[in-house]
Amino acid sequence: MNTQLQTELKADSKLERILAAGHFAVTAELGPPKSADIEVIKTKAGHLTGKVDAVNITDNQTAIVRMSSIAAGALAMQMGLEPVIQITCRDRNRIAIQSDVLGAAALGLRNILCLTGDHQCFGNHGTTKNVYDMDSIQLINVLKCMRDDKKFACGDEIRNGKKEPIVEPRIYIGAAANPFGDPFEFRVIRLAKKVNAGVDFVQTQCIYDMERFEEWMRQVRERGLHEKVRILAGVTPLKSAGMARYMRDSVAGLSVPDYYIERMEKAEDKAAEGIKICVEQIERFRDIEGVAGVHIMAIEWEHRVAEIVERAGLLPRPEAA
Amino acid sequence: MAKKIIAFACENSALKAVEALSDPAVLGAVELVRLPCSGKVEIGMVLKCLEEGYPGVLILACPIDNCKFTRGNRRARSRVESARQILRAAGLPEERVHIDFLSSVDSHKVAEIVRSMQQRLSVGAAGPAGIEIGKGAKA
Amino acid sequence: MITAVQKPFNEIHGMVRECRNLLVLGCGTCVTVCMAGGEKEVGILASTLRLANREQKISMKITEDTIERQCDREFFDAVRDKVEAADAVLSMACGVGVQFASEVFEGKRVFPALNTKFYGTNESVGIWSERCAGCGTCVLDKFGGVCPIARCSKSLLNGPCGGSQNGKCEVDQERIDCGWQLIYDRMKSLGLLHLLEANEPLKDWSTGRDGGPGKIVREDMVL
Repeated sequence: MNTQLQTELKADSKLERILAAGHFAVTAELGPPKSADIEVIKTKAGHLTGKVDAVNITDNQTAIVRMSSIAAGALAMQMGLEPVIQITCRDRNRIAIQSDVLGAAALGLRNILCLTGDHQCFGNHGTTKNVYDMDSIQLINVLKCMRDDKKFACGDEIRNGKKEPIVEPRIYIGAAANPFGDPFEFRVIRLAKKVNAGVDFVQTQCIYDMERFEEWMRQVRERGLHEKVRILAGVTPLKSAGMARYMRDSVAGLSVPDYYIERMEKAEDKAAEGIKICVEQIERFRDIEGVAGVHIMAIEWEHRVAEIVERAGLLPRPEAA
Repeated sequence: MAKKIIAFACENSALKAVEALSDPAVLGAVELVRLPCSGKVEIGMVLKCLEEGYPGVLILACPIDNCKFTRGNRRARSRVESARQILRAAGLPEERVHIDFLSSVDSHKVAEIVRSMQQRLSVGAAGPAGIEIGKGAKA
Repeated sequence: MITAVQKPFNEIHGMVRECRNLLVLGCGTCVTVCMAGGEKEVGILASTLRLANREQKISMKITEDTIERQCDREFFDAVRDKVEAADAVLSMACGVGVQFASEVFEGKRVFPALNTKFYGTNESVGIWSERCAGCGTCVLDKFGGVCPIARCSKSLLNGPCGGSQNGKCEVDQERIDCGWQLIYDRMKSLGLLHLLEANEPLKDWSTGRDGGPGKIVREDMVL
């Protein structure tokens, strides 16, 4: 069980080292191409290299087929990024997932984020069979057991033969956290469950309601969870007033305070205002006890990430020791 | 002899309206069946009538919210709609089944109701030619 | 009960149009209760087929009957003669009944008039919803009587996921309740919320469909 943030590194990934050193970490997202085109990754990676500590490589997000997270992650790594691979429970059973984890480790990919995964009805293959052999909490635990107990979920040791060495995957384990969905009481309990399962770091859903987030963090601190898991606060820069209203009205559990919507409506340069708000949020996160970093989800706006990071005073990024 | 339109009339309203009518041409245009309540109508029964060669089935019910048995006419209405959907799905003319609502004092509406049914059936060419009414002609 | 709905008429008609002598056979148990394949529905479908055949100038003799159940051998005895006289049977039972009828009447074609849906309950008149997935290892004691396998769209044992909104499931916010909201509410009302803090381990799916087609043998009951 993960009771204290270890000083001894578990995966020795760049992200882990930066967080362990106490730096305010910065992560971003990259959606792989809906084709076999490597150029897409190159372009996106180009915007992010050197500007952030690690980049989430999404896994068939919203159940739309994209190049696999591990493949795209391996390519992104060659291009100079530190990837955070994502694995959802929707498409793969425990055999495939453990297999993928071995492959990821072999390719030098050290960070894996465990997700439940959007239902396939949202994507472009709505008639497929889904898997959900496990949920995100069980997935975290499987990865933890592979790394720390050096065993597969069935109990077998991770070795190629009785006389061969144990070579376990050394993975820095992540998950998502949602301060806004679910019954209020249960949100913090779910984080506690993930901590008990063995998660090392979490990234939250994008935050606009800072008051509610601060209340969630208060409850998190009350349970001492901030000392057991590194919490990265999620942000998504607003591009327009319409987007702000859409997020408020159509996205599950997301509340966008009126003052942000008003600012977006009144602003002449909407994009600039959105970025300004985002930077303000990041500055506020740095003052909240227990927030170890920020996760910037600039969907199809990757080229503005650098500007956000710079204006928030977070450049240059520290060298991982 | 070709069959006429079969009209199932609720005895609490429609039947009284029809019986109060003196026009023999209208009375002669339909085969009248008495129901204790329009809610007695069943989809299977309606389809059986069509199977047996009735060109059309007309349900005459009490106005909505005036059913002596509270919901009978609502049930009749939804069963008529189901029967029409079944016909439609099978590529058959749904006009062959129809429901109208009238109270016991609405005798003056009966002729129009029957004539409209005949018109719908002849447009759909569903069955034997309509029987002329209002012109003194007999079946 | 097992619930089912009728196939679209054209699909049914397409299956049987080559027959010259068809028996429409209903079932008096589950599908009668869910108003899809009982005696009433047999009458309606048989009439509709006759009307459509007349319209399309298809010559087909159609007989009708309904037996108590099509999943127990003895009930078929009452209709053996009718089945044998027909070219084929249009069974209005669930998938179990259609298959069993095929087994009992070897060599006789049995068509399914229904699409079998789920094990469910009659919530109120005209409304049925799924409750059980037949996973083979019942865990209802742990979740206050609400099944996470059947009632959560993702069968999560440590739910809910992020798609739960206002007590509804992301898959269909109008028609599907979030199973985990139901579990949470029930456990809370029972004073057992603390039990949900424990992490539920990986499920053994092999006791259900993933272990292959099921079979129960009661040695003490086998003759």
